[in-house]
Amino acid sequence: MTATAAETISAPAISRAPAKWRPSAQGWVFRAAVLVLIFGGIIWRTATIEQFWADRFALAAIYAVIGLSLNVVLGYVGQVSLGHHGFVGIAAFVSAYYVTEKAGCVPNECSLGAFGTGILFAVISGGVAALLLGLIALRIRGLYLALITLSYGFMAERSIFEIPFLTRGGAGMPAPRPDGFTTDRAYAFLCYFFLALVIFVDWRLLRSKVGRAVLSVKHSEPVAASYGINVTAYKTLAFVLSGLFAGLGGGLLAFHTQNVVSNDFNFAIALLWVLMVVVGGLGNRTGVVIGSAFFALFPFLLELIHPLEEAVIESGRAFGQVTIVVGAALAILTVIQFPGGIAEQLSPITRWLRGQKFALHPEGHGGKHKGHAHKKGALLAKLGLHKGDQHAVDGAPSEQQASANPPPEESAAAVADHGTPLRADNGAAGGGETAATHGAAAVAADDGTRGGDGSESAGDGDEGAAGDADDIDAVIRRRFPPVPSRTPPATGATDDEEA
Amino acid sequence: MSAVLEIQGTGIRFGGLVALDDVNVNVPEWEIVGLIGPNGAGKTTLFNCIMGAYTANTGKIIYRGRDISLLPTHRRTALGIGRTFQNIGLIRGLTVVENFMVAQHSRIGYGAWSALLGVPRSFAEERRLKANAMEVLDFIGMAHLADSQLEGLPYGTLKLIEVGTVLATDPDVLLLDEPSSGMGPDEAHEFGERLLKLRKTLNLTVLMIEHHVPLVVNVCDYVYVLNFGKILTEGKPQAVRNHPEVVAAYLGGEVTTDEEEQTPQISPEEETAGVTA
Repeated sequence: MTATAAETISAPAISRAPAKWRPSAQGWVFRAAVLVLIFGGIIWRTATIEQFWADRFALAAIYAVIGLSLNVVLGYVGQVSLGHHGFVGIAAFVSAYYVTEKAGCVPNECSLGAFGTGILFAVISGGVAALLLGLIALRIRGLYLALITLSYGFMAERSIFEIPFLTRGGAGMPAPRPDGFTTDRAYAFLCYFFLALVIFVDWRLLRSKVGRAVLSVKHSEPVAASYGINVTAYKTLAFVLSGLFAGLGGGLLAFHTQNVVSNDFNFAIALLWVLMVVVGGLGNRTGVVIGSAFFALFPFLLELIHPLEEAVIESGRAFGQVTIVVGAALAILTVIQFPGGIAEQLSPITRWLRGQKFALHPEGHGGKHKGHAHKKGALLAKLGLHKGDQHAVDGAPSEQQASANPPPEESAAAVADHGTPLRADNGAAGGGETAATHGAAAVAADDGTRGGDGSESAGDGDEGAAGDADDIDAVIRRRFPPVPSRTPPATGATDDEEA
Repeated sequence: MSAVLEIQGTGIRFGGLVALDDVNVNVPEWEIVGLIGPNGAGKTTLFNCIMGAYTANTGKIIYRGRDISLLPTHRRTALGIGRTFQNIGLIRGLTVVENFMVAQHSRIGYGAWSALLGVPRSFAEERRLKANAMEVLDFIGMAHLADSQLEGLPYGTLKLIEVGTVLATDPDVLLLDEPSSGMGPDEAHEFGERLLKLRKTLNLTVLMIEHHVPLVVNVCDYVYVLNFGKILTEGKPQAVRNHPEVVAAYLGGEVTTDEEEQTPQISPEEETAGVTA
């Protein structure tokens, strides 16, 4: 036992993960260049294109903000919100009301401070509105929650959006843009800035304990709770966060149209927002942003294709109505054929940009795709195997053999280290201790014991198990030294024997 | 030795069904206590009461002298009670290493809002979490699977990973719900060995629901038998095993056929080990 422990100190940790493939410096430069090209292209296009197209780009950015807001509820929490036009609308009216009625803004004369405060109020009102819904969502979910959100949106439409002092009836509440951002182009850049902010927060959300907690709650509340996650708090937090984003989107939308009319916030638009998130790819930031931008720009893309434009005009429909129909069709196609949405179609590219090899299917992904995760890991371990441990993979009997005749250099090292030959039952562990082969040994032991398939008789299986247990024992002691304040291990040993 | 976990007179009813009735279980420090009983006896319900998934109608759950009956589940986890599930309790949408990171949730040194704003400390803390996760993964010999998705992994591996994630919550008391289900006899035996090692090195106290009789006899220091929501009997495993009432309630009736299948699994060696104890 002491021999094993002493040996482990000099040995590297067991079963290290195989080193990940990383692109070369050249590869990184190339990837960075592509990214710069994409984002630079967008900025350059916005800076040079006609003002009315810049205005549409701004709308695309705002839709992306709203899409990311819905994505928190739909993609991360896993609940449907059909009342997002309620949050967005309330926020839009609040910010417009503030700048016009309280800050006294008129077109071309509105300070950046007033705009900022208006946006802040919009964000807060969106958060508060969503908090109410979040508290309801703690009690109900699924179909009934969808129904509640739907009614919530309608209620907002019929009550809050018809308060005369807030909305000025059908005429709408003006929301003049701040000084310096009155042109469509400048405002588009402002919207990009806020979109970048939302993307940053969303990125931090997913890459921190918050995102993991929310995703865990989505998959299994009992398991999440037993991991120590406050299920209630995180569900509420997710809804509030979604509301904050929606509020920001609403505020930006108000200054985009510069005149907030209650008719702009109806169920059809809420449905379109849900569709764009689904088509973009639930739970995927890049997909949602692209999907949202696509749906925001779709009516204008129709204009670019002359025959289509004429067909729409001839039918006497508005371009927005066409978007809904196309959106529904795309959503059906997504749900049936491409559940990952646009994000899944783009995933080879996004993975490549993140520094992986260009491949159609993700690395180390079990299940659906061919690369069976566990087999792959075992295979890699096998490839890095030491000659002496090659037998061990085949099962317990040969493991015994290996321990009886350890490779010469290893046994020499062991004797040199401790001055005593290895005990027979330590052999398996001892053989595995040396350098790179260690990982392989752990995998091998694991393979040998699963289902006991390798062992001819029960005795052989036990032998393997004992070797494995010894191995782990040593590692345990190295990593977790016994806590002196509690029961000393000596008592434990007697306890063991009693049992 | 003082009891780490005391269940005092716990009772719970669902409508007219009495699921648990005046159950008293004592889990002393550093012991492995078994909980056996036929299907529907209320074993998992008891676990749910201990973890706070259900609130018991009567009785108290005492953890290290403190009444935790009314605490929410996540607070109990933070206090040091870790629990595994009958059907593997892992988060399917996350990778293996992410599961280990999320399991450390109650020991994370940054707030939710500072995480969203990207405070530098949250980045450093994330690195620490990942390092811890890799350490535990290393410890159970699964580091090579760190970045794998859960789907597609073999059942036995998932079971081991689940125990690992519970260890990552840094528990004092481990509640294991049928840890050997889906394992062959050899694997179950090996699991028992591992559990004993774990207990020795991590100073764990264990309460374990288990159907695999040889494993219970080999590993447990004390056994409670639950039947129809009541404690039927309790005692040393060997004594309980031969208790006529237990044989009648647990091994008799329809379960007999199951038991017959299990009997050959008890290797002669294990039998003798049990007798000498």
